[in-house]
Amino acid sequence: MTTNLKGMLTHIEPPKPNPQAGRRWAFVIEPDRCIDCEACMVACSVENQVPVGHHRNWIAHREKGKFPYLSLHFEPENCHHCSNPPCEMVCPTGATFRREDGLVLINYDDCIGCRYCMMACPYDARYFDEDRGVVDKCTFCVHRLDAGQPPACVETCIGGARHFGDINDPESEVAKLLARHEVYVRYAEAGTGPAIFYIMD
Amino acid sequence: MEHGHTVFEWGLLVVIYLYTAGISAGMFATSAFATYVGGGRYRRIARLGALLAPWPLALGLGMLVLDLGRPLYFWKLFVTIQPTSPMSIGSWLLSLFMLVAMINLILWLPRPWRNLIKFPHSRADVRDRLRWQPLTARMVRMGRGVVAAIGFPLSLGVAMYTGILLGAIPGRPFWNTPMLAQLFLFSAMSTGVAALLLVAALWGRISDPHELAHERHMLVSMDVVLILMEFFIIIPFFLHQALNTRSSAESLNLVMGGPYTALLWGGVISLGLLLPLLIEGYELYPVALKEGAVKYNRLLGGLSGLLVLIGGFLLRYVFVYAGQLSHFLPVLPR
Ligand code: SF4
Ligand code: SF4
Repeated sequence: MTTNLKGMLTHIEPPKPNPQAGRRWAFVIEPDRCIDCEACMVACSVENQVPVGHHRNWIAHREKGKFPYLSLHFEPENCHHCSNPPCEMVCPTGATFRREDGLVLINYDDCIGCRYCMMACPYDARYFDEDRGVVDKCTFCVHRLDAGQPPACVETCIGGARHFGDINDPESEVAKLLARHEVYVRYAEAGTGPAIFYIMD
Repeated sequence: MEHGHTVFEWGLLVVIYLYTAGISAGMFATSAFATYVGGGRYRRIARLGALLAPWPLALGLGMLVLDLGRPLYFWKLFVTIQPTSPMSIGSWLLSLFMLVAMINLILWLPRPWRNLIKFPHSRADVRDRLRWQPLTARMVRMGRGVVAAIGFPLSLGVAMYTGILLGAIPGRPFWNTPMLAQLFLFSAMSTGVAALLLVAALWGRISDPHELAHERHMLVSMDVVLILMEFFIIIPFFLHQALNTRSSAESLNLVMGGPYTALLWGGVISLGLLLPLLIEGYELYPVALKEGAVKYNRLLGGLSGLLVLIGGFLLRYVFVYAGQLSHFLPVLPR
């Protein structure tokens, strides 16, 4: 992790593709292209039957600069499927687990709804599903991935801000984007190793 | 907090659970301490502590289970051990502590009650219930010593766990300091002593003024030390948070001008720490100046206990709620 010239924004060394390591699903996001239309939020809610009042993805608003040189930027966000996920570490039953390909998922049979994972997630990516009594969150649309399709939010994104793929495959779109651009992740200082990379504006 | 609008996922039930677990741990520790020191002088306190210790925790555990999204599945906690989860380790620790506290309770029951519970005394007696006998006085004496020795570290562990549960989470800057475990530990011990101060003041008379003076002297001086320890933690807590990352520093705003300012400074610190410290200082000063015995009157003695108990509750309340509002702050380009 290093600091850029202006000393404010932390950017990271983009991970190099490592074909031996197997798949690592990740997002590369171009905040520049997001117009805050929130179509991805609708697509996700429909695809995953997200209960009313909760969301698995959202658009973070960032004000940059100082008056009068102000600008508003949008960072689409969802669960970062961290490499070192605090939610998984604190889960007392082992219901939250990390799959080989980097997906952080919940085994709903084992979840007792203690919500400790919600305290632990620095991104507030999780919500409590009152009806089922369990915690839930973005799964990177695991059911679609396993069927060979991209996540619903990626397919819907009108501005083309959301890119998704296997960063360990050098030929993938995301690996190429990472190789070409300077990127940052959110809350790098938390040490979570998030798998959503944002391209610097 | 869910993207802008505040949702307190952990509420009053969790506050009560952390609070009652602390009181139980504190009462047990005080009772164990009183068993070992003073050569039987503090038997009344040892007994009171042993008889009362399991109950607050029992209530708290009920709250904890009720708070789950799926209370009927709470047993899933006990089919696994997750070494990185404070809650998993804590659940096992609490159960073990509860078991020890219950055994301690039986050992300290007044004799006629204790004699109602019978055990086989030799292998041959196991099958024949008629030959089961109550515990002998010697067994009880030994048992109390052993249980106090095993339970004392367990009770400290339980008290610390209530702080580690919150403190071990990097995602909440207001909580994320090792000092939280210490703060909750000393506060737990102090509320345990205070509960005994209160009960001892309300209930039962000691005819021998000498014995009373000894008992007050021990409890009150313990509480004074514990309250001072809390100050020694709260002050560096503020300094460290203020000088830490921007996220930590800004999380202090929650209790310095933010929504929990009055509760922390007025409730926890003034009412729950300073005022009882003053009262206890007043009780103790004749001893400290070697002028005589502890000053004691029921009202003041009970009041300091009550204040510490209220302060301990508010401390958990402030931390559980304020922590959930604290957050990493994005680093913005300018
Ligand atoms: S973003 Fe939150 S919920 Fe998702 S893996 Fe990371 S810590 Fe867990
Ligand atoms: S709410 Fe469920 S997934 Fe989250 S920590 Fe508790 S048991 Fe694990």
